[in-house]
Amino acid sequence: MTHVSRRVFLAGAAAVVSAASPRAADPGDRIRKLVMLSAPQSNDPQEFQAAQLLAQAWRQLGLEIEVRPLPRPQLADIVWNQRDKWDMSMWRMVGRPERSDPDELVYSLFHSSTANGGYDFVTYINKDYDRAAESERQEIDPRKRQVFMYQAQDIIDRDQPYIFLVFPKNTFAYSSKVWKPESMVEQSGIGIRCFWTFVRAEPASAQKDMIVNAAEPLVALNPLYIGGAVDSWMTELVWDRLMRVGPDGLPVPWSASRAEWTDATTLDLALRPGQTWHDGEKVTIDDVLFSLQAPANGNFSPMYKPFVANIAEVTATGEDTVRIKLKTPNAGFLTASLAKLNLVPKHIWGPLMDSQMAKGQSAEQYQEPKPIGSGPFRMVSFNLQDQVVLEANEKHWAAPKMARWILRVVTNNDAALGMLQRGEINFLTDYRGDPKVLVDMAKQDAAIQVVSTTDMGFRFLAPNGRRPPFNDPTFRRALSSATNRQMLAAAAWNGFAIPANSMVAPSLTFWAKPGINDLKVDMGEAKKLLTDAGYTVVDGHLHYPPGVKETLTGS
Amino acid sequence: MPPAETVALAAPRGLAWRRLPSLAIVKPYATVGIAIYLVFALIALFAGRIAPYDPLEILFAPDGQLAASLPPSAQHLLGTTNLGRDIFSQLVLGARPSLAVGITAAIGVASIGTIVGLLSGYFGGLIDTILMRLADVVVGIPFLPFVIVLAVLLHPSLTNIVLSVALLLWPNAARVIRSQVLTLRQRQFVEAARMSAASELRILLIHVAPNVLPLSFLYASIAVGWAILTEASVSFLGFGSADTISWGYMLQDAYASQALSRGQYIWFVPPGICIVLVVLAGFLVSRGYEELLFPKLKD
Amino acid sequence: MTHVLRRLVLMLLVLWAIASILFLMFRLMPGDPTTAYIDPTFTAEQRQVVLHQFGLDLPLWRQYAIYIGNLLHGELGLSFRYRAPVAGLILNVLPNTLLLTLTALVIAYIFGALGGALLAMKRGTWVEAVTIPLVLATRAAPEFWLGMLLLAVFAFAFGWFPSGGAVTAGAAFPSALARVTSADFAHHLVLPAATLAIYLQGLPLLLMRANMLEVMQEEFITMARMKGFGEWSIMLRHAARNALLPLVTAFALGFGASVGGNVVVETVFSWPGIGRMLVDAVASSDYPLAQGAFLLIAAVLVVMNAVADMLYGVLDPRVAHAAG
Repeated sequence: MTHVSRRVFLAGAAAVVSAASPRAADPGDRIRKLVMLSAPQSNDPQEFQAAQLLAQAWRQLGLEIEVRPLPRPQLADIVWNQRDKWDMSMWRMVGRPERSDPDELVYSLFHSSTANGGYDFVTYINKDYDRAAESERQEIDPRKRQVFMYQAQDIIDRDQPYIFLVFPKNTFAYSSKVWKPESMVEQSGIGIRCFWTFVRAEPASAQKDMIVNAAEPLVALNPLYIGGAVDSWMTELVWDRLMRVGPDGLPVPWSASRAEWTDATTLDLALRPGQTWHDGEKVTIDDVLFSLQAPANGNFSPMYKPFVANIAEVTATGEDTVRIKLKTPNAGFLTASLAKLNLVPKHIWGPLMDSQMAKGQSAEQYQEPKPIGSGPFRMVSFNLQDQVVLEANEKHWAAPKMARWILRVVTNNDAALGMLQRGEINFLTDYRGDPKVLVDMAKQDAAIQVVSTTDMGFRFLAPNGRRPPFNDPTFRRALSSATNRQMLAAAAWNGFAIPANSMVAPSLTFWAKPGINDLKVDMGEAKKLLTDAGYTVVDGHLHYPPGVKETLTGS
Repeated sequence: MPPAETVALAAPRGLAWRRLPSLAIVKPYATVGIAIYLVFALIALFAGRIAPYDPLEILFAPDGQLAASLPPSAQHLLGTTNLGRDIFSQLVLGARPSLAVGITAAIGVASIGTIVGLLSGYFGGLIDTILMRLADVVVGIPFLPFVIVLAVLLHPSLTNIVLSVALLLWPNAARVIRSQVLTLRQRQFVEAARMSAASELRILLIHVAPNVLPLSFLYASIAVGWAILTEASVSFLGFGSADTISWGYMLQDAYASQALSRGQYIWFVPPGICIVLVVLAGFLVSRGYEELLFPKLKD
Repeated sequence: MTHVLRRLVLMLLVLWAIASILFLMFRLMPGDPTTAYIDPTFTAEQRQVVLHQFGLDLPLWRQYAIYIGNLLHGELGLSFRYRAPVAGLILNVLPNTLLLTLTALVIAYIFGALGGALLAMKRGTWVEAVTIPLVLATRAAPEFWLGMLLLAVFAFAFGWFPSGGAVTAGAAFPSALARVTSADFAHHLVLPAATLAIYLQGLPLLLMRANMLEVMQEEFITMARMKGFGEWSIMLRHAARNALLPLVTAFALGFGASVGGNVVVETVFSWPGIGRMLVDAVASSDYPLAQGAFLLIAAVLVVMNAVADMLYGVLDPRVAHAAG
């Protein structure tokens, strides 16, 4: 319908109808066919299944929905780089220890400053929310900060910029014949595959080597570059950090013996004495300064640069003390930055930085033949495609109880299961198959312990706020009401997930607002929301409220 | 892999293709092949009626639970997948894309091969050199890797698989047809046509082309099997069309969903057998046809 | 000699053409090829740096010149994903592919030659009537499906063979040679090689049979018969030897085609070969790696095609060198 003809038509209709029925405004444009992007079934069966189920449910509202699977790289390209060219997309945020402080998710995902090119790819813009997020970020007192966190979650619950689906569970398994169950540590929101298990696990027998698996090859072993999922949980064993995220999700001093805020932007740290690099050199305050400054140097470490961006100045205040001045107050700094940045030996990476930068290259293009850190494990040998062998650093102040830590790259899920059964691995640390198959297998072997932990990451449907009808919060709330999260958790994630309605996972007990995830499906409520807002169903098709024309800028 | 069924460069006897209908009676292999084709064609045609469910519909048990990994039963003849889809319905509807890909690719290969062969053989000279060097290049392109890369670069769809099969498999047909045209050119009836000052195009279309058509049919029948196998392989590798249920897609799904370690044979054996039957039918028909064209091979 | 020379020149031309086609294909693709490897939080300036590192900010013709120049030096560029030279990554896995292919081909051709000769002797019997459709069926079966069947039975049900990989993950070997000659490697090789061999044996078998039938009608066989040689002796000493020659050519062609055709078998068995590397690279948008793997597979194919052509001329003097 062209604009002119429509207006003429409307005028005529109004003249005839208005006397008889004052309410009978014509419905707005019919809502176009909406395209739901998703990873393909081959790449992510759960996500694809969830997309199909969502589409099945939402069609009952009178929407026409096509589920369109795209390979992940193409999906990422469209969603991130062509922000006005898509309707909605399945998406996920992964859990990482440094996200134990919810700031990164609360601030970056929805603060309007990140809408252009940043993390707010759904283009959610709300001044009230911005204020809540800014307050949360700057408030150092946890009690007061909690209030702002709750506020932020309430606003998100009301506006539904994401249709949250589930917090999936991470499932790992180990042999209790080899590792004492009480020594395996379940980190909140992460699971038993965590740093704490690796340093604390106690052998139950003569087998003192922990043999773990990875489902994909490593990309790099580099303190200044993480190339893939496996890299990130490997590097934290070899390289120490000033802080670590504890099993309860709170930051604890690690290579630093203490960390104290003297005011909102000044942090004083003391270095734990007696630490050495794996090559025998002493860990000095110079190394600490280097580790905090090097990522800021040009494009030397693009990956870590954002995490030092808020540092105004770092100065040594003594033999083993350092002071960090921040540009703006940041309550999550200890977790998000200091528990993420690796301590890097200056005597190795200092010269490397100069030579790489001179070549116009970054830290990413350099792979140390024998990586040197100061962490609780020492590198023995590695082949990125195949395996990594570490040994316990017995000189470390928190030396592990195992002798060696061996990672085997096994890309086939079934093969990895078989290896666990035969004892070729004794800790299944990367399993991407159907958790049920694993649980069934464990039932036949009493020694195999399976531990599932609710992840702090979540799965969601991202509605594109740049395009109608998703720019209407009521419409999004209706979609949310028509979403059966319990059913999704059961039918798409096989029961290995719990319903979600917040970016703050329930595992972050202090920050998650109690009860926020208890959203029940209510198709009647969904339809009522739409009707009340003026949406109408004509011949089974949902139309916009009266007078609303559909205009797309992007396509 | 290029088709291995090589053909001797002997001239076919007359207009052998006219005897195509008699093929079924003469050659028992071909009879079997044609019968298999007919059965699958019927299945494809009536797939919508035969299949009890939408192949992509997510099924729930009466108690509201996902109907996942059910064993075969009266409701689900071959059981269900781990994500609650009816396997039998997928198998039945899988006949459609497989046959569609096979037939369209066959037409594509035969058309390109025939046109290139005719032009190259009849006109010779620069045209011939260019086309035959092009054929050399195409023969040097690894088949399956090319199809995969093209599927990803363009967009995973059946059309693109057909396109890449047609783009890569024509050289064999073109080369054989070219040499056939070379001998035809020397024949008296072509010479006679020339003498009567018929236009080149007319000679090519009226006098030469009909005589190479039997060869075109032969290469078309060979291409059917290759196209179906290719579609299955590409789907299995995860680069297939995502919204089409094909047998290759089913096998990929079964493999990725750990049907092997569950021992769910009923999921991954039937689609494989279907592929084998359809491709085998193509081989049988082309073999019988080949023997009809080149009786010398008949031992 | 000029024939060989001409063939070599043609081979180089074909290689250059394929390299150019490949370059265009990857450059003309929609979207930004580096998206998958650039953190979404990067600024425009940081993106530019990454693009520059991979030379993607240059005009197309400059990129092409650099690409061809690098190829001449055996340089295949940097992998997006691994940030490491593509050539090294490929050379790492190439031996696995070559060993798998050669093992399967040798088994397939020995079996095919024997089977084909035998079948020629059984011409017209019920053995032939049953065997030929069976052999055709092995060629009609998708390789990956054969592999799945073997896996389901011999790896999952019986547990006789491992379900994937080239060696037990994490096994250490003193050298690369020790690795590929170990019992462990052989154990892992059985199922993939068997799958491939079952698929490949059909061609040599049918070819051998046809050759045998043809050779047996020739004069020198009739001569031998008249001289009173036994039927077996005629078969083996005279007919088979002559019928084998075309198989040598087919072997060369088969080798060239298999290196690329292995893609699916390598995927089913998680065999760390070049085919699987190609599939992984394509799936994860690592275009330099995909391009490099593709080029190497194409190079093997083109070289083997040329070798087969030349062998054909050498082995069968009836082929006039001027032809084709």
